[in-house]
Amino acid sequence: VIVSLHAVDRQSVDQWFVTEVLPLEQALMRFLRRNWRDHAEIADLRQEIYVRVYEAAHRERPHPLKPFLFQTGRNLMIDRLRQSNVVKIETMDDIGWLDVLDADPGPEQRVAARQELRRMQAALDELPPRCREVIVLRRVHGFSQREVAAKMGIKEETVENQVVKGMRMLAAATSDRRGSLIAGARRFLRSKD
Amino acid sequence: VTPNEKTEQTAAQWVAREDRGLRPGEDAVLSAWLEEATGNRLAYLRLRTSWENSARLAALQNSPRFCDSTLARRGWGRLALAAVLAVAVLGGGALYYLARQDQQVVYATRLGERPTLRLSDGTRIQLNTDTAVRASITPATRTVTLEKGEAYFEVVHDASRPFTVLAGNRRITDLGTKFSVRRDGDKVTVVVKEGRVRVDTLTSAPIPVAPVYAEGGHVVLAKADEMLVAPKSEKDLSDDLSWRNGMLVFNQKTLADAADEFNRYNNKRIVVSGAARDIRIGGSFRADNIEVFAQLVRNALGLKVTETNGQIDISQ
Repeated sequence: VIVSLHAVDRQSVDQWFVTEVLPLEQALMRFLRRNWRDHAEIADLRQEIYVRVYEAAHRERPHPLKPFLFQTGRNLMIDRLRQSNVVKIETMDDIGWLDVLDADPGPEQRVAARQELRRMQAALDELPPRCREVIVLRRVHGFSQREVAAKMGIKEETVENQVVKGMRMLAAATSDRRGSLIAGARRFLRSKD
Repeated sequence: VTPNEKTEQTAAQWVAREDRGLRPGEDAVLSAWLEEATGNRLAYLRLRTSWENSARLAALQNSPRFCDSTLARRGWGRLALAAVLAVAVLGGGALYYLARQDQQVVYATRLGERPTLRLSDGTRIQLNTDTAVRASITPATRTVTLEKGEAYFEVVHDASRPFTVLAGNRRITDLGTKFSVRRDGDKVTVVVKEGRVRVDTLTSAPIPVAPVYAEGGHVVLAKADEMLVAPKSEKDLSDDLSWRNGMLVFNQKTLADAADEFNRYNNKRIVVSGAARDIRIGGSFRADNIEVFAQLVRNALGLKVTETNGQIDISQ
């Protein structure tokens, strides 16, 4: 374990978080999804893990990062299970050992640009129609939010709200393909009723 | 709404505001919010990064699929720009999409669509419903891979630059012709309308399978290692290609097979059960009008036809 002892300013930790931690999000989400039953809580777990890792990085940058990230996830899940008081010990022992041991840096670090584009395109297609139209005009065609509003004949505020929505859905879908497929299927089934 | 979702929503709102340009005073509010909690900061960094990455979507700009509606209303003029092959769309308002993959171009149709593409060499390809092809045209070769579905080719022959279609483990080489290729899993059907094609089996086996040649008025049925060439009457041939006009023509087809055909074109499914599956029918139908088909089946054959949840059930 290599430790950097000097104090680090926040900007460089921010930078580290963006370039080193965020690219592992897909792997982390898969890990959580496999080990945590209530999938509605996964985004919450992810956020908590990020906070723990980010704060640890102010003291020292964890290296290698991926095992540390998963280990943090594992500890958090165990904490939560303890709090919930209803869990058998075996469950806790099962959590994610394989993943932690098997945590080589992995190719996820650099998802090929093309693959990412494909993933994004798929995510785009899962957006609700109006939201999709806004995101396509803004992101694919590069019109400003104001121009999008004018083109579509809607209020700028509405465009902004659709950007908020689309951004969140794209982030969720690109980091958690499986989760978004399930959500998409649910939406589809609901729409059939 | 969990606290985390609230944080994420607020973070997304800030990234969206930055995206439209912050108004005076807003940056101070943003800074304060970012200082408030590490969670705020990280949710913001995450969404901002993801939003910045989504700028890559601009790569799809020339794809008709992402053509903005204002452009679409003006017509399809801009689409020609899209294709590295200078593809022109002949089929009216047909919806299809195209995206670059490596040096290739991918075309795909949704259910019920059947657009015609024209390649820069003059070759025309009409795609049937739920079809995907990959085209790679270089100065030396012309290759189209049928990933799934069915397509009709009118090839402009060029001896120095053979035109080949790959479908599963078959390679169809045009020898100056009009033909269609249909792929259902590992089964490949080639209907030759005019001219001549050569069909090779691509195999890693030590003993190569001999190619077959088929002329106009013939059909090649290929499955596993077997290939059958059979003559077809003028009428059968035009029935096989009737999809090009949006029609399905059946001649002594079982109701079960007819239903499968309709199901290729529509979201609404037809399910035939019991003895009704083996009843043979004939006739021509619009591929996208299964209601009419269902009515005819009810009235002419006296079968029980019920519709529930977007599914038509036919039984005796």
